[in-house]
Amino acid sequence: MARIEIESDVTGTVWKIEVEEGTKVTEGQTLIILESMKMEIPVLASDDGTVAEIMVEEEEAVAEGQAVIVIDA
Amino acid sequence: MPWDKEIEELRRRHEWAEAQGGEYNVGRQHNAGRLTVRERINRLVDSGTFQEIGKTTGAGEYSENGQLKNVTPAPYVAGFAKINDRPVVVGGEDFTVRGGTTARLDRRKGGQGGFSEDLAHEYRIPLVNLIDGAGGSVTSAKNRGHAVFPGVDNFDRSVDLLGEVPVVGAVLGSAAGGPAGRAILSHFSVMVKDTSQIFAAGPAVVKRSLGQDVTKEELGGPKVAVDMGGTIDNIAADEDECLELVKRYLSYMPQNVWEIPSRSESGDSIRRCESELKDIVPEERRRPYDMRRLMELIFDTGSLFEIQPRFGKGLITSFARLDGFVVGIVANNPMVYGGAMNVGEAHKQCRFVELCDTFHIPLIFLVDVPGFMVGLEAESHGVLRAGMRAVFVASQATVPVITLVVRKCYGMAGMAACPQRGANLKLAWPSAEWGSLPVEGGVAVAYRREIETADDPKAKEAALEEELRFYSSPFRTAEAFGVEDIIDPRETRPYLARYVEAMQAKLQTMAGPKKKLGVRP
Repeated sequence: MARIEIESDVTGTVWKIEVEEGTKVTEGQTLIILESMKMEIPVLASDDGTVAEIMVEEEEAVAEGQAVIVIDA
Repeated sequence: MPWDKEIEELRRRHEWAEAQGGEYNVGRQHNAGRLTVRERINRLVDSGTFQEIGKTTGAGEYSENGQLKNVTPAPYVAGFAKINDRPVVVGGEDFTVRGGTTARLDRRKGGQGGFSEDLAHEYRIPLVNLIDGAGGSVTSAKNRGHAVFPGVDNFDRSVDLLGEVPVVGAVLGSAAGGPAGRAILSHFSVMVKDTSQIFAAGPAVVKRSLGQDVTKEELGGPKVAVDMGGTIDNIAADEDECLELVKRYLSYMPQNVWEIPSRSESGDSIRRCESELKDIVPEERRRPYDMRRLMELIFDTGSLFEIQPRFGKGLITSFARLDGFVVGIVANNPMVYGGAMNVGEAHKQCRFVELCDTFHIPLIFLVDVPGFMVGLEAESHGVLRAGMRAVFVASQATVPVITLVVRKCYGMAGMAACPQRGANLKLAWPSAEWGSLPVEGGVAVAYRREIETADDPKAKEAALEEELRFYSSPFRTAEAFGVEDIIDPRETRPYLARYVEAMQAKLQTMAGPKKKLGVRP
């Protein structure tokens, strides 16, 4: 099992968290939706796996390149 | 028999060349997870096509009575070969011989005015540089008895080649100095994960200059050189994949700028109209979508080849084929800052547009750009200058361009995606919208006083936005022939293919070197 940290591609704020710790996810699934440049930007699962840790809360500001969620894959 | 002795000597000299830096050094190269330069060449080129040049170069050792004892080969291997049945010149440092440092020969074998560059120039065929060396060393001053002035081995030929033939740089070890410079003076560069690094100067120099402790990987691994710096274009997982990418890149290129890229059999029907294209852009304007998927649905199956996929991620630059014809795609990526053009995106677009223009590859812009990136950070990095450079470079391109507006096309970033010269063909999907700047934000600026003085400023702003959005329907612009056509997204593939086929006559007649005018902003 590999622990994979998924980073935000953009600076913005957390709008919605779509999964919980322990949720099984598939590659390409939306995990978190950020708001940036007036757009809803999804953070997608890079691999099939299980959500291990959610590192942000809704309405929290995130920076480009910041790890926001961890999946075990 | 006549000349037997000499023929035998030639054979021995070839054997020493094949032995490279000796068993021990070849073993070290393999233990570091790297191939030798000869193995690289053999894996890169069509089987049995490598014809070496200068296999007899090296440092000979002779006994007191003049008997040849050994030859240490020069640390550079070069020659002709074929890739996909087309002639190329290929060369690279031999790291197993003195770490691939410069040899003292009457004529350089490769790089910086070397013989391999002369051949690529004279015969007008592509050049592949397999880079695995660190270039000059202060010890050379001691050997020569004087310090070498920069440019004795100059880059003039390398520079000229960029306007003549495809040049590819594969970084396959730790590259600094001249070899690193050469990797950048290319049309396409690729490096290998974990086993290659590239920098202007390595960790020891950084430590002495700035007192910083950094490892080679931290300083010049792909994370910095590809993702952050955009110094090198693409990453490969291993050396085999790296060489595959080199081959693949060359398949989109003509042999030189006096030719145009060749058409291939596509096997993908030009009448393929994917219904998924109708639904791919969400009606909800805040929602982005997968631009790469959109590209797959339009262009020949399996033909996309992305350049710089990990840098300037708000923009996608990719080669593709359409009905077998090579095209260059510049597409905004709404997943990253809504597709806004930041400094990295602008540099990436400039480079790709120049690349396609140089090799007569028609450009297709898939536009979804809200404008230049806004904010203090973007401004402090010079986004306006970088963005205007993209406008300037697009304006200089003489290759045919098709602009297809998928969604947003705003402001000067939008202008960089639809050069006004030539046919200036502008197509749009029904989801398209355009203007000087998006209604959101634009209203707040243009109607500031009215909004501020309204009883309910938020409601006033919303009402004004709604009013203006009415005029932003693409059909109203199409009535005025302000865009040439609005097309059903499903019919994009056959529609574009007709234009790309028709423009081939122009491509044929425009082949040759491109003029460069003026000063880029």
